[in-house]
Amino acid sequence: MPEPVIKLENVWKIYQLDKVELVALKGINLEVAPGAFVSIMGPSGSGKSTLLNMIGCLDFPTRGKVFLKGENISLLTENQLSQLRGKTIGFVFQEFNLLPNLSALENVMLPMIFQGMSEEKRRERAKRLLVSMGLGERIFHQSPELSAGERQRVAIARAFANNPELVIADEPTGNLDSVTGKKIMEILTDFHKEEGKTIIVVTHDPNIANYSEEIINIKDGQIVANHLTASKVLWQK
Amino acid sequence: MAEVKEYFYIATRNLRTRSLRSWLTILGIVIGVFLIISLLCLSEGIKATITQQLRAMGGEMIFIMPGDLSNPLSMFMGGAKLEKEDIEIIKKTKGVDKVLTMSYQSVVSRYEGEAKTIFLAGISWEEGQEILEKFQGWSLEKGNWPLPGRREVAVGQQVAKEIFKEEVKVGKEIILKGKKFEIVGVLNSLGSKADDSYIYLDMPLYQDLTGEKKGTAQMAMVKIKEGSDLDKVAEDVKENLQKIRKRRAGTEVADFSVITSEKMGDIAGSILAVIQFAIVAFASIAIVVGGIGIMNTMFTSIRERTREIGIMKAIGAKNLAILSIFLIEAGIIGFLGGIGGTILGVLFAKLIEFYGQVHPVFYFSASISPGLIIFGLSFSLLVGCLAGFFPARRAAKLRPVEALRRYE
Repeated sequence: MPEPVIKLENVWKIYQLDKVELVALKGINLEVAPGAFVSIMGPSGSGKSTLLNMIGCLDFPTRGKVFLKGENISLLTENQLSQLRGKTIGFVFQEFNLLPNLSALENVMLPMIFQGMSEEKRRERAKRLLVSMGLGERIFHQSPELSAGERQRVAIARAFANNPELVIADEPTGNLDSVTGKKIMEILTDFHKEEGKTIIVVTHDPNIANYSEEIINIKDGQIVANHLTASKVLWQK
Repeated sequence: MAEVKEYFYIATRNLRTRSLRSWLTILGIVIGVFLIISLLCLSEGIKATITQQLRAMGGEMIFIMPGDLSNPLSMFMGGAKLEKEDIEIIKKTKGVDKVLTMSYQSVVSRYEGEAKTIFLAGISWEEGQEILEKFQGWSLEKGNWPLPGRREVAVGQQVAKEIFKEEVKVGKEIILKGKKFEIVGVLNSLGSKADDSYIYLDMPLYQDLTGEKKGTAQMAMVKIKEGSDLDKVAEDVKENLQKIRKRRAGTEVADFSVITSEKMGDIAGSILAVIQFAIVAFASIAIVVGGIGIMNTMFTSIRERTREIGIMKAIGAKNLAILSIFLIEAGIIGFLGGIGGTILGVLFAKLIEFYGQVHPVFYFSASISPGLIIFGLSFSLLVGCLAGFFPARRAAKLRPVEALRRYE
């Protein structure tokens, strides 16, 4: 079996809230193989977001280990982790999270700046990505001038910028109407199929989860069921 | 470090999005730098003017003035005078060659129907003419020196050319305090505008006109005999004056100052240094306030942009990148404030200089040196970076997950 893109080993996350301890994750074990398309589902308060932070290497576990491409992230400095995260993981958020002061093109170029790519190369790549998202006409628009669907496509282009092995999407369709949401999911599915990249989607919408090959259910900080689903698009019914 | 260009770009974009707040913060720095630059320009100018004036006074001279020089205020009160016997004793002191006495006050002068308030200086002409000509470098542009005993005056360059609408000409009449005088000479420039703005006349005439007591004077200049030691003569003059004053008033309080031209330069220099220090200290407070303004703006903007910081970190920004962006923002604010403040400060100093030329009240030229401008700009940049450092460091240290969690 190839090395997992991300591996969680008995991961606990405990938040200290004044005098109360809040246990968000209780010994999670998880492996995501390269090229997989995984959904994480669970009601709010289930520890879904905390798990996403662990998988996205945005936070460190209280106990246990997180391996990103075989590297134990707890052993990395903050800067090394930033570098690795920027190179390996692309993020798509529910609220798009574009920088409002920058144009679509600049937003897509940003992750490449942090990886030290030359201006010429990153401009070229950002343009190509935006054109492939059907945003060729909008590259110089700032995010307030774009529709929600367009913003999310810019955000996806940004997530793809450094050609990451893993794309993590946190409720990517949560703020979109169903038609636009479907388009977004198709882009992600295509990326998965054509480039063979790993996708992890966090959602509470079963229709979205059904795009994936595997659904991980989380409840009260624990994985409760892990059932394979056919990679069938049920939403189209 | 090729990314710095990008960070610079991002920083300017951020500043432009909150342009009103950015401009207000810049204004805070502008005011501080404006104060420092304008006051330094002016005080440097005053210093240069005074140095120039002292140099014009010539080398080996002793000045006797009422008031205690170590207490600068008493110099300006001008109440005390040199009495007749004081002047006699100065003349008798060993090593003293010639004594020039001088008094001055402003009077209303009327020329060709135009009235102006001008300083009038009475000079003991008979004794003093030689000192003035040989040691102070006075010379006539036109006409003759006034003759003692006659109602004749000589005027300085400024009086002749600038103060009255009509050019003042030799042979014309000028009315001082209601009495007619003949203008017999126009002096060449004496090296300072203040000295050029006097009307000079013989001492007895001056005292008749102003009602000042005969034989007294406000100050005296001593030329020493050749081969005498300047400091020694000054010491002796001082001692003699002390004796005679003690006999008269019964006190040992020195209410006069005897100083050499050299020492006078030193004293003026040190007084000015204190003034300059005070100016810089006060203006620095203004800059510090401006710096706090920058800090405040930066902290506010970091609070507002916590989420942006989180996004940038999530997509791979290192701490240094975030630190750089915010530091550059603060630096730009400081630097722009510095440019604005320097320009305004220089303009203001020039305006004062211009005003001084039109209205002969103060005379100096603003001293604007490249060093001062470089100082203004680099200082404001430094203030910006210092004030921005703590907010920027806080931004850089934000954990991505914390920054992203704040949804509102």
